[in-house]
This record gives sequence, structure tokens and C-alpha cells, in this order.
Amino acid sequence: MDTIHACFKDKIGEVLLPGDVFSFRLPESGDGSIKTDKIICGPGLRRNGEEVQVCKSGILRHKQPNMYWIDSQQRRYVPAKGESVIGIVTAKSGDIFKVDVGGSEQASLSYLAFEGATKRNRPNVQVGDLVYGQFTIANKDMEPELVCIDSCGRANGMGVFGADGLLFKLSLGLVRRLLAPQSEIVKDLEKIFPFELVVGMNGRVWVKAKTVQQTLIVTSLLESCENMTSQQRQTLFKRVAEGSL
Amino acid sequence: NSHMYVCERLCSTEDCIPGTGTYLRHGYIFASLTGYVLRKNEGEELPVISVVRETETQLLPDVGAIVTCKVTSINPRFAKVHILYVGSTPLKDRFRGTIRKEDVRATEKDKVETYKSFRPGDIVLAKVISLGDVQSNYLLTTAENELGVVVAHSEAGAQMVPISWCEMQCPRTHAKEFRKVARVQPEYLQA
Repeated sequence: MDTIHACFKDKIGEVLLPGDVFSFRLPESGDGSIKTDKIICGPGLRRNGEEVQVCKSGILRHKQPNMYWIDSQQRRYVPAKGESVIGIVTAKSGDIFKVDVGGSEQASLSYLAFEGATKRNRPNVQVGDLVYGQFTIANKDMEPELVCIDSCGRANGMGVFGADGLLFKLSLGLVRRLLAPQSEIVKDLEKIFPFELVVGMNGRVWVKAKTVQQTLIVTSLLESCENMTSQQRQTLFKRVAEGSL
Repeated sequence: NSHMYVCERLCSTEDCIPGTGTYLRHGYIFASLTGYVLRKNEGEELPVISVVRETETQLLPDVGAIVTCKVTSINPRFAKVHILYVGSTPLKDRFRGTIRKEDVRATEKDKVETYKSFRPGDIVLAKVISLGDVQSNYLLTTAENELGVVVAHSEAGAQMVPISWCEMQCPRTHAKEFRKVARVQPEYLQA
């Protein structure tokens, strides 16, 4: 029924606050045929009986045909299953490594969760190393668990990395924009000079370029992309590209 | 039944036979516990005098008893619970119990995920399989159809309704959550 989508349509692209409510009063039609549509509530929206409540502040977004969610800005990361993150190894205790992922608890990483690792062939991981892994268990009741292999047993780009380079922190919204399939920011950055980039969904980014100066330039460009429109960003990148040549 | 203090003299050996909580000294019976005095005629010549802490004896969970417990914390390998009731009698102290991952279900034991069977705060019906050592807790199992989660609250805070042996639904948000649900016999369900 159009009533459901109409309630949301006015507010798409507007800033909503927690506590805002969408209530649907289906019109009482004489013939008794009420067509109900299905809508999918994404992050930030919650159903409460006959209404939909907003539980995070942000902008309401819509994706065809019927998905709605709240796009919110956040810097604190909450571990979720299936997300790939950059972690820092803080301790080795018995068979597991304790890894700091920026959440409320440290995650545990078993030493067998690397490609080609067996009980005799232990992986070469030291305290202070950077690891890129995925969460297998991540909920509010248990300690999160990381693995550096996928379900087939292959590394697939995960594992220990980062002999040089620089690790810094960005907001979660910007990281999601960087990881989008056709990210403009990454495309524009590639034109300036080549560099290696690892992006973790916990807001951590690792960069390595040919010289230290180039690494620092990429770092400060990424940090400044947070609050710029695409126009401002492109002019800035053009100025940097001309200046460095 | 009067209240006794420790080392209080109860009576002489000629009047009663000493029972639990008492000791003999110099021909007199003394109390060794603080509690209530019980005099029982057990068919011998003299009554047996004993001192007990409480008038009712504590019911302890025994192997094979069905207990009602509340989940306190979960772990990928086991769930820790507090035992609240043994059968239908409430316990005065909370005993601690453990439900291991292998004891949650009877079939497909290696595919069990603790997070999809129990959550902290759930009320669970379980059976005692072992009393454990000095250090460890009671070992419990839910590997039967009638055992498992009976009362659970959803993430929104409402009490959930069971829809199958492995799912429960929240009436407010209509979100489904996984639990190992107990099949309660119809005569125990109240309308």
C-alpha cells in the first residue's frame, strides 16, 4: 500500500533523531481488501508493534525496492560477524592470540586459524604485529573471535602484514565509503601516485607508499576527506597532484 | 524448639542420647552448632537430642534430577548457570552449574553454537548428570525434547513465544531468535 512508503518518502534524506516514530494507520476500505507491503528495516530502525521507531540519529536512506535504514556517523566500532578488520596483537597466551580491534573487548585469534598452520607449524606472529582477519563470533554476550582464513581454508588476503607503512584511524562512515565497490575517493587517490592500502571496517587504515613523505600525504588526504564534498575533494587532489610532480 | 548457642549444655546423658550437632563431655550433652533443638523418640529407651541449623533440611540436586536454572554467562564451549529450583522446590542458596556444548542437544553435537542455544538471562530446564568435584560445578544436560529454554527475553526486552524446537519470536518486534526450546508437556502449561 502506498501509505507505508508515503510515510517514509517525505523523510528520505532528512536527519532523524532516536525516538522519531513512523506509525501506519491503514485506511479502512469498504471492500475489506488491504494490501500489505513488506518493508525491510535496516540498521537504526526497529519495529515496535504497529510502528517503526528510529533508534540511531542520522539520515534516512532508501534502496529499491523496499529497504530503509539510518546512515549514522560513529567512531566507536562494535564487532559484527563477517566483518574484516585490522587488529593489533597484544598478547600470546597458550593457543590463542589476544588482538585489539578497537571494540569493548579484545578478540581472540587461534594460532590454527592461519593458512597452512598446524600444531607443529606455528605461524610467525609476534606481539605488536598487525593482522587482517574476519569475525566468526561477534555478539554482545561473548568474547569476539577472529580468523585469518576463509571457509575453504585459504588466506584470501588475510593474515599478518605491515612491515612498514602507517596505521591511522578514520570514522566508520568514511571507511564504509572507501570500501564501496566503485569508491570515487580511492579512484581519485590512485591518480596521484601508487600506494598500498588496507582498510579495516573498525575504522583502521594502513597505508604504504614509496617514500615516507608520500605516505604522510596520503594519510592527511584521507583524513581530510571526512567532511568535504566531492567537488572540494577533487580540487584538493588536483592541487596536490600538480604540487608533487 | 528453643534457640541454642554453641557449647550450651543441653542435658545429661541419662536423659537423652546425643544426635547430630551435639557432643558428650563429662557425662553431659553439649550443643556444637547454633540452631534449634530437636528431641525425637526413635523407639529406643531414651529420646535422641540433636541441634539443626534450620528446621527444614536442604534439598540437594541429585544425579538425574530435573532442575530449573538461569543462564549467567555463555562461552563458545559451555554455558554457566545458577540452579534455582530442584523439581518444584526453590533452593535457598544458588548452586552453580555448567552445560557443556556437547550436552545441549542429542543429535549433531559438533554443530551446536552456544549463542544459538542459550543467552544470558534465559530460564532453562536441565537434568543433572554429575555432581562434579570439589572445584567444579554441577554438570547439566539439555539433550532431551522436554529440556531446554522455557522463558527467554528478546533483545527488545519482551518475553518471547516459542515457534519451533530451535526458534522463538518476539511479539513486539516480530524478530526471531535461536534458542534450544523445551517442549513443555501440555498439562504443565497454564492458560
